[in-house]
Amino acid sequence: MERQNAVIHVDMDAFYASVEQMDRPEWRGRPVIVGGAGPRGVVATASYEARRFGVRSAMPGATARRLCPEGIFVAPRMDRYAEVSAAVFEVLHGFTPLVEGLSLDEAFLDVTASLRLLGPLPGIGPRVRAAVRERTGLPCSVGMAHNKLLAKLATELAKPDGTFHLAPEDVHAVLDPLPVGRLWTIGAVAAERLADVGIRTIGALRTADPRLAARALGNHAATAQRLAAGIDDRPVVPDRDGKAIGAEHTFDDDLRTLDAARGWLMRLAERVGERARASGASGRTVTVKLRTPPFETSTRQATLPEATAATADIYGAGERLLSRWWREVPGRRLRLLGISLSGFEQAAGPAQDSLFAPRRRGAGSDPVLDRINERFGRGAIRRARGLPADDDG
Amino acid sequence: MRFAVQREVLLKPLSQVVGVVERRQTLPVLANLLVSAGPEGVSFTGTDLEVEMVARMSADGIEAGDITIPARKLFDICRALPDGIKIDFKQAGERVTVSAGRSRFTLSTLPASEFPQIDNIDLVERVTLSESTLKELIDRTAFAMAHQDVRYYLNGTLLDVREGALRCVATDGHRLALCETTVDLDGKARRQVIIPRKGVLELQRLLDAGDGTVEIELGRNHLRVRRSDFTFTTKLIDGRFPDYESVIPIGADKQLTVGRDDLRAALQRAAILSNEKYRGVKLDVSPGRLQIVAHNPEQEEAVEELEVRTVVDNLSVGFNVNYLLDALGALRGSEVMLCLRDGNSSCLVRDADNERSRHVVMPLRL
Repeated sequence: MERQNAVIHVDMDAFYASVEQMDRPEWRGRPVIVGGAGPRGVVATASYEARRFGVRSAMPGATARRLCPEGIFVAPRMDRYAEVSAAVFEVLHGFTPLVEGLSLDEAFLDVTASLRLLGPLPGIGPRVRAAVRERTGLPCSVGMAHNKLLAKLATELAKPDGTFHLAPEDVHAVLDPLPVGRLWTIGAVAAERLADVGIRTIGALRTADPRLAARALGNHAATAQRLAAGIDDRPVVPDRDGKAIGAEHTFDDDLRTLDAARGWLMRLAERVGERARASGASGRTVTVKLRTPPFETSTRQATLPEATAATADIYGAGERLLSRWWREVPGRRLRLLGISLSGFEQAAGPAQDSLFAPRRRGAGSDPVLDRINERFGRGAIRRARGLPADDDG
Repeated sequence: MRFAVQREVLLKPLSQVVGVVERRQTLPVLANLLVSAGPEGVSFTGTDLEVEMVARMSADGIEAGDITIPARKLFDICRALPDGIKIDFKQAGERVTVSAGRSRFTLSTLPASEFPQIDNIDLVERVTLSESTLKELIDRTAFAMAHQDVRYYLNGTLLDVREGALRCVATDGHRLALCETTVDLDGKARRQVIIPRKGVLELQRLLDAGDGTVEIELGRNHLRVRRSDFTFTTKLIDGRFPDYESVIPIGADKQLTVGRDDLRAALQRAAILSNEKYRGVKLDVSPGRLQIVAHNPEQEEAVEELEVRTVVDNLSVGFNVNYLLDALGALRGSEVMLCLRDGNSSCLVRDADNERSRHVVMPLRL
């Protein structure tokens, strides 16, 4: 009755804890618990090592400490998680523009239109997982199915650090035995009411007499029974419509010199240029995002004479904005730096001629660099300007 | 410091100055106006470090003093007071009280010593000009300035001081506007300065079409315009303006002459069905006739036909209709001349009977 869609659900495994373990190699393999530090704090995320002790999200910190006395308790660093998350989403956007973020560490991808390019659905999930790991070093779980409901369930079956494809013909076999509380929209209260009428599994709900289901769930019964049958028509709603391609970085230690900021800007510009070129987009607007401690964010924008995807052009425009901003106030500090390209032009649209011949510098070394980085991994080759300086974050 | 003044007398200088003050500043004192009261009257100064505006007025009961007070709040208060009311300013310690009738406002201040002022501009040249002429030069070119372009020298207007003439030139790289006037400059050397966009727009707002004169002072890094009641100073853009004369076609052989209002109305109608993003229209010229055609992505079409004076045959060229309309809006004559070459070359638009104002528009390849 409906076209077979291809939906992927990506969920980072113990995201905050994984980031902490990545940043502090000595914590790898040890129980790391993010949050729950204060007397009334609750656990935000526990690493899989900590979960073995029974530590769970939203558990009071005191309980977690009792269960896992040797646990490493750390305060959340949301800036850092947001930054890693941005990198994850960049990777996801490389597969399809239809990315719907649910949180920092969870997203849906609609790859229906990309199947011809990427191949059959069961092959895409493992590539998404590998790409996320390659870019961020972090584990994630990936579920694949023909709608959001099933893709998310597939992810649960894939965890941790795995992939699972839920094929249409297996839906009932997989769903039916699961407790009804695992179904989206069925919370603890609804599950209890269903149990009262003898419905304990998803399969039982699917095959239940609608009047019986309605007795437990009221108006929601019909929808719940459709969900139990694996039917879900909700579309993947992309967060952005391809209006900008950007990259940003939050520094652990604020940058204090313009030169260090320039180095980072080059690295970010390389990333933006690479992504723009990979997606065949060229834009006329370069925006630089600047955050000073504690949390004052400003942006500066420049318009280019013509649309570009060249790293040198993006960096050049960004550098001018950055330098001007830096010199506005003495003693500048930089906590976050970002650069983005927007104002994309259609290649097929009419072309406005220019009065003053633009410097035709062509693509320069970009295509060569892109190919080397694609083959040997990001950062295999980069411009000297973007190499780490001494006071990097 | 103390003075009193009627609301209407106060509002004029205040509105002149407040436009310079940015809504978001890098320094707190830049949100304030410097108020200076002395024997000659009261002056208000606003600055954003690039552009500085000093406006003067006379007042009653002056007790001398200098202080800075929040610009936007002061302006909003005075604007909201009833017509014709007398407003009294009085400094008491670190506060200034503004009272009028039964209203009283106590404002915070910052010391005048913290207020950055542009003093000496290193005067190089001085030109006296009728105010309406300067206004005309700016009005007829400013629209073509670039905005936030990485070619920062395009984000402003060129003031070209030549032998016997003063020119304003602005371009965004796609079209160019030039307007000139004859001036008596006793054989001084040619000088080119670029006035930044904000300075140009503020000047445009400040100048009137009256018959008074203004003095233009060119400094090494500044331009200053003096009128009896204000002194306006702007930093200059440190850069080289492109060689604009080389892109103005001379002796473009294929000319057509047409009524300015007729052409403008036809373009405005055709524009309705042009692509909203690219605004393309096609001009087809044949002897005695100009056809304007526009299409949009919905495949709708507009065709306008005009009787024109021309012998040109078989010439077809596309343009952004907004650029043509801007140019026509900056001309004054009843008849305009379009000088074309071919489908890949620019168009020169000017009044049919004089060359004071010239506009160059590059083609849009449809």
